[in-house]
Amino acid sequence: MLYLALMAVMAVFALRLFYVQIIRYGYYHAQALSDQQKEYEIPATRGIIEAHLGNSIVPIVLNQELYTLYADPTLIKDPAQDASNIAKVIGGSANTYKQLLLTKGTRYVILARQLTKSQSSQILGFKYPGIGTQGQDYRTYPDGSLASQTLGFVNASGQGEYGLEQALNTELSGTPGKLKAITDANGVPLAAVPGNIDRAPIPGDNIVTTLNMGIQAQMEQILQAEYKKTNSQGLSAIIMNPDNGQIDAMANYPTYNPANYSAVTNPMLFQNAAVDDPIEPGSTMKTLTTSAALNMGAIQPNESFYDPAHWVIDGFNITDIKQDGGARVQNIASILALSLNTGATWMLMQMSNPGGTTINGKGITAWHNYMVNHFRLGQLTGIQQGYESPGYVPPANLADPSIDLRYANTAFGQGVQITALQLATALSSVLNGGTYYQPTLVDETIKPDGTVVKFQPKVLERNVVKPNIGQELIPLMQNVVLAYLHGGFYFMNFPSNYLVGGKTGTAQVARPTGGYYSNIFNGTYIGFVGQKTPQYVIIVYNIKPNVPGYAGSLGGQPVFADLAHMLINEGYVTH
Amino acid sequence: MNPGFQPWRQLLKQRAEVPEQPLPRRHRPDYWLAIIVISLLVIGLVVIYSIGTALGLANNVSSNYYIDRQMLAIGLSAIAFAIASSIPLEWWRRYYKLLLAAGALATLMAVLMPVNPQYPAHRWVRLGSLSFQSVELVTFAVVIWLAKFLADRMRKNQLSDTRKTLWPLIAALVILGVAIAGVQSDLGSIGVILAVMSVMIFVAGMPLKKIVMVTLLILVVGGLAISTTPYRRERLATFLHPTSNCLGNGYQSCQALIAVGSGGAVGLGLGRSVQAYGYLPESANDSIFAIYSEKFGFIGDLVLLGLFAALFTRIKKIAMQAPNNFTRLLAIGILAWLSTQALINIGAMIGLLPLKGITLPLISYGGTSILFIMLAIGILFQISRYTSYVALNRDLGGRQKEGNNDNHSDRRRLGRAYNTSPGGRS
Repeated sequence: MLYLALMAVMAVFALRLFYVQIIRYGYYHAQALSDQQKEYEIPATRGIIEAHLGNSIVPIVLNQELYTLYADPTLIKDPAQDASNIAKVIGGSANTYKQLLLTKGTRYVILARQLTKSQSSQILGFKYPGIGTQGQDYRTYPDGSLASQTLGFVNASGQGEYGLEQALNTELSGTPGKLKAITDANGVPLAAVPGNIDRAPIPGDNIVTTLNMGIQAQMEQILQAEYKKTNSQGLSAIIMNPDNGQIDAMANYPTYNPANYSAVTNPMLFQNAAVDDPIEPGSTMKTLTTSAALNMGAIQPNESFYDPAHWVIDGFNITDIKQDGGARVQNIASILALSLNTGATWMLMQMSNPGGTTINGKGITAWHNYMVNHFRLGQLTGIQQGYESPGYVPPANLADPSIDLRYANTAFGQGVQITALQLATALSSVLNGGTYYQPTLVDETIKPDGTVVKFQPKVLERNVVKPNIGQELIPLMQNVVLAYLHGGFYFMNFPSNYLVGGKTGTAQVARPTGGYYSNIFNGTYIGFVGQKTPQYVIIVYNIKPNVPGYAGSLGGQPVFADLAHMLINEGYVTH
Repeated sequence: MNPGFQPWRQLLKQRAEVPEQPLPRRHRPDYWLAIIVISLLVIGLVVIYSIGTALGLANNVSSNYYIDRQMLAIGLSAIAFAIASSIPLEWWRRYYKLLLAAGALATLMAVLMPVNPQYPAHRWVRLGSLSFQSVELVTFAVVIWLAKFLADRMRKNQLSDTRKTLWPLIAALVILGVAIAGVQSDLGSIGVILAVMSVMIFVAGMPLKKIVMVTLLILVVGGLAISTTPYRRERLATFLHPTSNCLGNGYQSCQALIAVGSGGAVGLGLGRSVQAYGYLPESANDSIFAIYSEKFGFIGDLVLLGLFAALFTRIKKIAMQAPNNFTRLLAIGILAWLSTQALINIGAMIGLLPLKGITLPLISYGGTSILFIMLAIGILFQISRYTSYVALNRDLGGRQKEGNNDNHSDRRRLGRAYNTSPGGRS
């Protein structure tokens, strides 16, 4: 009987096996696959970022493979010894590692990050079960914090944040590879099994920026020095080529070190204020007002007019910050040189009604059209930067009872929000004869196969102004420089064989609660430098400088002067 | 009483009162036994060899480590087999005390030895790189002792004597229970020993009432043992709902079932086991059946079950035709031992029984287990040289002449045709 029972049990086993292996095969097969088959994304190598230095191209953002040390606590046999030997290799507290190795309820703890290759192989050499390393590319920056806000950084999950890294994340990151394979319990793929997928990653593109590292480095030094000298809250500057929209240098101060971005406590430092922080630019706007009025034929370059020193618009007095003139005859040049708000308002009156002294819907509509469609204010330039801001141009809503005052304000740069980049690009389009090039930071894109794609200047607007308007504006802006020189600003003394022009801006700062502060100003400056034609357009935004006088003259202008002198002295001005 | 188990009990009882006959003439051994055993050993070797890489990776040793050690174990076991199959069977009866002493000593050493952190139980005697599982020796010694003890009691007709038979058996149970279940915490092995003892005692012919009594006692003690030890409670719970806790205690059960099930009808193929790569714990030892099933599927499993069934049938045949009560009980003990282990092991792998840490005889990796099983097979091989229908018939004839009123089996034998030649039924 016992023997029969034994055979019966074995028969039951055979039946059970039939049930498990034949009838329920699909279920267990699926269970096995869900455990055993794993899908991996193989990260693609991120493209590097390069820049011009003299005649050569040098890397400014590189990759370095560093290693993350991890452990599966369930496999650790001797936590104390493992921890003490790990601490010997990579430093840190053995006790901390030991506690991590003793973590309950998980099969993955990270012990340390950013180990070097030699540290990694030393630890792997111990052959501790359950301890491994995982290579990961980290960005390194040979030039430290140089151009950091323009470059951005790459976060721990490999995504570009801010600047170029964010805007060109797709191009830089490439296409990750895919591995779908039957693996062992630790996730290591077993020998090829039918159905495995193994697709190699495609590396990201390398980007050669338009940045000129020589100019960029000196600009950053100048910004740092002026930031301290003017005791300001932030300083931004751009040097660009007006003939194709390429940015030679773009920086802000204070800045940060992207290699150590995680230590930054104030996220404002990540922002490239020159493109993502629009302000009311103040009188630098008058260069655009003048250009528009000239282009419309509303004024002539050498025209004179009677300036009453104040206008009453919608019940408000518009006066000049510079109160030295009083009511008298002025001309276009003096509007810019003395920065007359009444003069800018008069230009809007001429757009409304030539010869008149009122603002009407025709002038408002025309000026709005110039700001938005010709100078492309209030919209993104499309530069390769994360978080670019469009700024703000008030709508030409003629039903608004104070629309005249609103638009009179915009004529001298109040009540509009414009980024440094927007203003510089708009002025560039006037100076180069009327073509609005999309500003760009990308000179070349180098594909993984070595193909070089040269960036072609992209025209966004062909008829900003007539070709001659730039020629008319240049002497007006040169005159501003000379006027300041003669007024005692000796740093505005440039060699006579160079073409240097500019315009200050002392902008009132809006109170969040409405109205403007009476004692806080932003200093702005826009100008150009060249030999026969403007080779560089330079813009400076100095946020709330603490200077004994006008913010534009003493906060913006000296920075422009330093930058222009630097370009001239270093031989960057060639034509 | 169910007549189904009468043949064995009857055979033993019939000869209980007569003095032992001299052994019949030595003849050709049962070569089928050897062929089946070698087949099983080869299957085990093939499986262990084919997962050598996985085992090496998991345990940080070379991929030949396991197969080399298993070959060494089988080599040593072959010597043990050769010795056991050639020394006189009487020697086992004469020197059983040496074996019991060795078993006690090994157990003591295992308990006193510092434990390996990977297997924190006092079950191994470790000498350098060699380790020895004391309970395997103890099981072997118990089978030999019990065969001798029961054969003696039968000869003296003291099987029903409570003082002479029942108390020594209960004493042995208590000692084994304390040492193996208590100190070594090895409930699986004590289960195997209990099964072996029960079968041998039952077959020897102890009154069923006493066996039931003792069994109930063991069940109560066993129930207490399970309910007081948390990990056993969990194992029992896991057993009742094996797939409810796949990430916790049920992990091995679930992974074993996945391995078996994913083998399908014909298996993944010899080199294609995935579960051995870190998913299924103990894939060379306790879980080797699941790995085998994954590789060879339902067809392969039928072959393996068939081989085990053939092995058990050969051993049963040897037991039926064994020349005397001692060798008969010995063969039955060995059969009970091997079959219990095989059933517990396979049953656990296919989700019908709880995991007990019991190896699959002749297949699983592990030198100690193979060594003692091969020693036992050697004894069976030797017994198979002396099997005889003639001896059986002569015994029956002798008992009939002397007459025995207590012998109900006489009437049964006369009244029931199939009992006239029990040996022939095997």
